[in-house]
Amino acid sequence: MNNEELWKAVLGELELSISKGEFNTWFKNTSIVSNQDGRVVIGVPSGFAREWLENKVNMHILQSLRHLQSDISEFSCVINAPEQKAAQGQQFTQTQTGFSSVQGVSLQQQSSSQPPPTYPPGASVPYYPPQAHPLQAMPKAKQEHALNPRYTFENFIVGENNELARAACYAVSQNLGQLYNPIFIYGGVGLGKTHLLQSVGNEVLRQQPNIRIKYTTADWFTGELVESIRNQKVAEFKEAYQKADLLIIDDIQFLSGREKTQDEFFHIFNTLYQANKQIVLSSDRPPQAIPTLEDRLRSRFQGGMIADIGRPDLETRMAILKIKTAERHFYLDDEAVRFIAENVTNNIRELEGALNRIIASCEFHKITPTISYIKKTLGNIIANTKRVVSPERIMKMTAEFYNIEEDDLTRKGRKKEVVHPRQVGMYLMRSELQTSFAAIGKYFGGRDHTTVLHACEKIKEDLDENLRLKEEITSLKEKLYRE
Amino acid sequence: MKLICTQENLRKAIAAAERAVGRQSTLPILGNFLLETENGRLKLSATNLEIGVIARVGAKIESDGRITIPAKLMSNFISNLPSGDTIVLESEGQSLKISSGGYQVKIKGLDAQEFPLIPQHHGTQFLNIPAQPLRATLAKLLPCVALNEARLELTGVNIIFSDNSMCLAATDSFRLAEETIALDSANVASVASSFPQGSCIIPAATFSEVSRVISPESKEVKLAFEDNQIFFEVDGVQILSRLVSGKFPDYKQIIPEQFALQATVSKEDLLRAVKIATVFTSQTSQEVVFRIDPEESHIVIESRSQEMGENQTILQADILSDIPLEMVFNPKYILDGINTIATSRIAILANESTAPAALKAVDEETGAHAGEYIYIIMPIRN
Repeated sequence: MNNEELWKAVLGELELSISKGEFNTWFKNTSIVSNQDGRVVIGVPSGFAREWLENKVNMHILQSLRHLQSDISEFSCVINAPEQKAAQGQQFTQTQTGFSSVQGVSLQQQSSSQPPPTYPPGASVPYYPPQAHPLQAMPKAKQEHALNPRYTFENFIVGENNELARAACYAVSQNLGQLYNPIFIYGGVGLGKTHLLQSVGNEVLRQQPNIRIKYTTADWFTGELVESIRNQKVAEFKEAYQKADLLIIDDIQFLSGREKTQDEFFHIFNTLYQANKQIVLSSDRPPQAIPTLEDRLRSRFQGGMIADIGRPDLETRMAILKIKTAERHFYLDDEAVRFIAENVTNNIRELEGALNRIIASCEFHKITPTISYIKKTLGNIIANTKRVVSPERIMKMTAEFYNIEEDDLTRKGRKKEVVHPRQVGMYLMRSELQTSFAAIGKYFGGRDHTTVLHACEKIKEDLDENLRLKEEITSLKEKLYRE
Repeated sequence: MKLICTQENLRKAIAAAERAVGRQSTLPILGNFLLETENGRLKLSATNLEIGVIARVGAKIESDGRITIPAKLMSNFISNLPSGDTIVLESEGQSLKISSGGYQVKIKGLDAQEFPLIPQHHGTQFLNIPAQPLRATLAKLLPCVALNEARLELTGVNIIFSDNSMCLAATDSFRLAEETIALDSANVASVASSFPQGSCIIPAATFSEVSRVISPESKEVKLAFEDNQIFFEVDGVQILSRLVSGKFPDYKQIIPEQFALQATVSKEDLLRAVKIATVFTSQTSQEVVFRIDPEESHIVIESRSQEMGENQTILQADILSDIPLEMVFNPKYILDGINTIATSRIAILANESTAPAALKAVDEETGAHAGEYIYIIMPIRN
């Protein structure tokens, strides 16, 4: 048994004998530093932890140690020195603004043991590397549209729902402009599109600090264009974009209906594309479903790689919760994590919101959360997401949605206006409630089960091809569960 | 435990310890004060496991003991009592009864055994720092500390020790302030050598706590370093904390050794001009232009905003240089800098429009730079 295994075993034993909060507070980031001649030295992160381990729980620790390795006679604690190396590494990767670029330079100079440069008065002093990246200069105005260094591939949680999108983005960040160009990521709100997009930027920036990255949203792009038209600086505006090595545009669907913006964007897109510069786009729906997007743009978006991000499954949601709680230094047991993940299913932002709410309320009341407490705290969120749908409700909402009488669904008659809603209603009852075909037939005016079977299969098949139908079904489902 | 002390003394101790009280839900006891009797005095401790504060109050002890009670409750009650009265503290099982004149409360507490042990300093080596200069320096430096934790090493104040002085600096990477405090204590070198590389970064929160405890009558602040922890003692109040890990940037290199241009102006006028200019900047573009014109012997300060309009202020200045210079600054950083300078005249020092500029205090009579304090500010590049 090596030191790491020994300490893990000791922690496993201790966890049972002391409270959870106490365990997390005092034993986080501890390890065995040495184990020789029956004397164990434990590394701890702070003086508080040392005092506690040596004076309060010393008997517990010694007992567990002896239990596993009988020749241990005593133990002591040392405080781990703050890690300087790790921090230095951070300095380079997180280089973002202001002096930091300067420090990057000066630190490098130091390590190569050159004397610090002296500058004569009035001489031009190279405080910025000659080809400084725009993000590294002191932000002029658009600071909020710089990349956020928090978003990286490392902290992006991969699940079945986003595997492809993540893999494609990562591949692109390693082979700029060569693999998939443009790359188009789409998915609903709060599922991590922005995170992925910014990860590409941050990863590229980490590898090539001098590369020119332009990150913006379609909305901001329009704003900038309008501003430049007013100031008669359209040429400068275009040049700024056309000089980018990597262009990232978030929420491209907002270009919809803005003709002049689409026009300018089209030219920028072409220039970059022909120069083999990478373009990364995101939207809340696939290109073919963005209304009033010019055809030439739509076809260009479809020309590269399209990947979607779906809703995370239960396991992914649990993984996300665990990482988020660890980041916040908050402890939730597995059961609680599972409970939240099972009940908040819509998107990751909502999941974070629910977690924030629990943490805030626990900190306010100073308690450790239990399932029933979580249930109470998240009461209205859960009530909103979990709504029981009855066959009657499906009939009613379908009729309302297509603007027909409920009786039309059950009556005989094969008019086109009622046949389609009837089929959709049958499909929903099957897919949402798993009602048997025969029972569905009964609800819809005593129809034969083969009629129902045909309806369900037809809708299912059409779904793959007909985007309008897909949108119909999605918004009908939303209506079903929300109102 | 039973003891009697004055409201004033107890209130002072509570004020010193209060801000170290923890707010974590995982360990509710961190929201408590630990009260215990020690050598004929009352000892009051609080900690959030980042900072620990121990304050001592002179008291008449009738029986020894220890208890922890919620800090907020105790503080609320004690601060509302009339000053000058005596207070009786008496523990009854797991509760503490506090009475003073006609006022009486009984607060439920927790077992004192559960309270974290606050690490103590074991050595005898303390460095004495003059208290008033330290307080003045911290007031200048703390506004420059980075609030964003993305770069941890910038969230504290850096100290570099030398033989007879200590050099303190803070930066958020847009501006930087540096001040030197002279030390006359004999053991500077030996205490300084206990720090790795003779320097350390002290969390801003710890220093703001130290400067709160320094009163106008305080003479000196004691400092010691042991096991990666820093210990302070001011007027009997002990404060200890961890250090910020990481390496402070090698900032000395960005302070230019010489400046090509110096413009000396009245502090009042400069403050007014920048404040007016701030009105014509918006959240999205915070830019104020300084045009230094040696021929006319003046500085033009101007700003404009698309929506609101524009302004221009002309300030008379003594300018040493013959090349005109135009620089753009964020007015907030300039204002912060002006406010840290106490003299009535300020020197603006610069080399060129994209290189760091500096503010220094100017002695009214001699016209020379006063003191070591320097405030460096990065211009905005156009």
